[in-house]
Amino acid sequence: MDATEIPLKPPSVPTDVPTSDVEQIERALIDASTRVPVLMFYTSAIVWLLIGTLLAGFVSIKLHEPDMFSGVSFLTWGRLRPAHMNVMVYGWASMAGMGTAIWLMARLCRTVLRHPLLLVAGGGFWNFGVLLGVGGILAGDSTGYQWLEFPPYAAIVLFVAYSLIISWAVLMFRFRRGDQIYISQWYLLGAFLWFPWLYAAAQLMLFVVPVQGVMQAAVGWWFANNLLFLWLGAIGLGTAYYMIPKVIGRPVYSYHLAAIGFWTYALFSSWTGMQRLVDGPFPAWMITASIAATILTIIPVATVGLNHHMTMQGYFPLLRYSPTLRFTVFGAISYTVFSAVGVLISLRSVARYVNFTQASIAYSHLGLYAFFTMVMFGSMYYIVPRLVGREWRYASLIKLHFWASVYGVGLMTLMLLPGGFLQGANMENPSLAFSESTQTILPYLRGRSLAGLLMTAAHFIFAFHFGLMLLGLGRTSSVPTFLNPVEAEGSEGHL
Amino acid sequence: MKGFVPLVLGIFGTFAFSWMGLILIPNLQIGHLDPQMDEEGTDVYPAPKSGMADRGRKIYAANGCIYCHSQQVRADYAASDIDRKWGERRSAPRDYIFARPVLLGKMRMGPDLSNIGKRAPVEEENPSPGPSASPAGSPAAAASPGKAASAASPAPSASSPAPAASPPPKPANSPAASASPVAAAASPAASPAPAPSAQPAGANQASPGKAAPTASPANPSASPAPAASPKPANSPAAATASPAASPAPAGSSPPAAGANADPATQAASVAAPPTGSPAGVEPKPGEPPPYSTAWHHRHLYSPRSFSIDSDMPAYRFLYERRLIAGEPSADALKLTGRDAPPVGWEIVPTYDAQCLVAYLMSLDQSHPLKEVKSPAAAGSPTVAPAASPAAAPPASPAASPPAGKGTK
Repeated sequence: MDATEIPLKPPSVPTDVPTSDVEQIERALIDASTRVPVLMFYTSAIVWLLIGTLLAGFVSIKLHEPDMFSGVSFLTWGRLRPAHMNVMVYGWASMAGMGTAIWLMARLCRTVLRHPLLLVAGGGFWNFGVLLGVGGILAGDSTGYQWLEFPPYAAIVLFVAYSLIISWAVLMFRFRRGDQIYISQWYLLGAFLWFPWLYAAAQLMLFVVPVQGVMQAAVGWWFANNLLFLWLGAIGLGTAYYMIPKVIGRPVYSYHLAAIGFWTYALFSSWTGMQRLVDGPFPAWMITASIAATILTIIPVATVGLNHHMTMQGYFPLLRYSPTLRFTVFGAISYTVFSAVGVLISLRSVARYVNFTQASIAYSHLGLYAFFTMVMFGSMYYIVPRLVGREWRYASLIKLHFWASVYGVGLMTLMLLPGGFLQGANMENPSLAFSESTQTILPYLRGRSLAGLLMTAAHFIFAFHFGLMLLGLGRTSSVPTFLNPVEAEGSEGHL
Repeated sequence: MKGFVPLVLGIFGTFAFSWMGLILIPNLQIGHLDPQMDEEGTDVYPAPKSGMADRGRKIYAANGCIYCHSQQVRADYAASDIDRKWGERRSAPRDYIFARPVLLGKMRMGPDLSNIGKRAPVEEENPSPGPSASPAGSPAAAASPGKAASAASPAPSASSPAPAASPPPKPANSPAASASPVAAAASPAASPAPAPSAQPAGANQASPGKAAPTASPANPSASPAPAASPKPANSPAAATASPAASPAPAGSSPPAAGANADPATQAASVAAPPTGSPAGVEPKPGEPPPYSTAWHHRHLYSPRSFSIDSDMPAYRFLYERRLIAGEPSADALKLTGRDAPPVGWEIVPTYDAQCLVAYLMSLDQSHPLKEVKSPAAAGSPTVAPAASPAAAPPASPAASPPAGKGTK
């Protein structure tokens, strides 16, 4: 069951060549076929990441300097914030996720990517859709549904783009070799099937045949949470399940745990969402059901965490060398933290205080950044060299990127989580003026801006490094770029 | 795992399960609610927002107000929203059946707005009149300012969405007074306006409007008017009118004039504080009473002119700065300090801003719902409004009953 090794059947035709060479050639062919689309997705994603980061800067600073640009309609805080969020979710996270998923799928199905131009067209449309959507938001066309602010005309473009993109997955599965479907493929296939249903359902129920009143909010949060878990989360976990065993050269600890983790994940995380509406104008059972589901997500989190931990057992020193491993493991650990925080703030007794505070922003960033984005960075550090035929040029830049990101998102969490609790405590104390609660959070918001600066630095460093790779300025070497000079033997070949 | 089919079936099944449980079934339960009405089929709540208020909701959504302001009041056992005077009862699904998009919100960097319209000064002084009066007010409002000065007024009047209108009256007065340098004239101008309004208002609300009835008959033309102005008008008019008047002429300068010039506003400012400004916004001299239309406009334009601690962004792009051509507009913002436009210029709300404020003024969940237990306060505030509409129609013929729907 060591599917992590991507076991290849003995090649049928060239029997005279040693197996390992055939594997090498086959992988090279697969990589070559994914080269154009994956790089295109990555490049777009990184451009969106930079745009989203700049928007985030405005959002963060304007929160404690509200008079900035107050006369400019498209720079008003209430438009920048959804613009930032949607750029990050649909521009950066989704495009990076799809890029990685395409490559992983090709590798795991052991088949070359057919019709790469279809994907390129899909990616182009997707970019156009995001651009249209963000432009719409900034121009004052936002729909007002959180995570679905893109005006419907942009949503249609996104959907067309997506159907172009999904068709390759079907094709690839159609032509896959071997019956074994590896863990990562479960997650990726799930993500690619869940997303269109989810997106279509939300769009239909909000814009085409709108549901009544508060049900819109229920649909909205159901969509948002499932987008986070079933789309981005599934891609992130699938990637981690590939990268960790691959880099350390050891099969996943337990397939059974993985199966339990996957199905409980699909079952429970899809039922979350309503806990964000705690004590709102809804039947209590809806919210309670989501809270229960959130608590039950401890099961998939524990199994996935345990599985990754046991796989890594004894190989932790490799974190010193491999950029991919370092980012991915950080992301995997963050997934556990993210889920734990999610459980904590969903409990009614806690939600009473944090429901309407900045703590929920900390939660979103733990999920979207500390977990998902870090895993994506990790996968890019692994995949890009295989596509451009060069190794990353500067180990120092990778380290800078890593630490700036980690300190950035760490500081942000440390600011917004306790800050949110204090804000909520003051808000729940009616003897204090309401403005006390917002005053309380201000110092934390300033700290968050500082965290944002770190993350901004990280993203520009990474974009620069990625640009070098695109331009063919990476190192020509058969050895991957290690973060630190390799002293221990045995790590080579796997990294 | 082997087998593509079971995998896909499982993926589909979990998704369908979640969709059914969290969307389909709740939609059967609360997705098809009808407005509540009493046995005679009157007293319908909620009613769809009309005209400007509905457009205002889109502006609210497009400019991201939702990212800082929630519109949901949690139950008293679950949170202190009600203690904060954000509402008298918890919000229920039925409150939102006409809301599209529904803007419940997820963050409170600013106070909850579910009942912001209800908290306009009319209610402050005395709970009952608020809604009924305000709708009625709209036409009146238009009328009064109109006579005072502005050409701009037609827009609001035409749109008539009551809620929006309600506030205008009182601001209308004050602006009218202050805006038109005719300070001297102002006081007289003001007085008539309030007077008519006084009638309906006074009728409904006994307390402030003791003096009211007498004044009311004065001019029918203005009749429907601004409940708000009236009540203050009456009492102060009688009691404090003279003192108020004196500053008025002197205070042709906007700041002074704004508050003191006309009895109505002064009264309002006087009246409001004792009742207790809910969110701790105490009206100071020179400021419009909290949550009135004038207050909202100035707050949107310059939030920190009310509270230095406010972290709300200014929405100056919703306002237009223009040269005063002839008479100053009645709806021009009264600004002081560094916000004030240079002499000869005025800041007026765009149509978007008027719609946005109309929407805010229409936010009111105070109507009792059968499915929600109203906590203690139920008696006075909730019942009273119910009564008021009944009283209102006769009192102010001009006030179109339908207008009341939004607020009431």
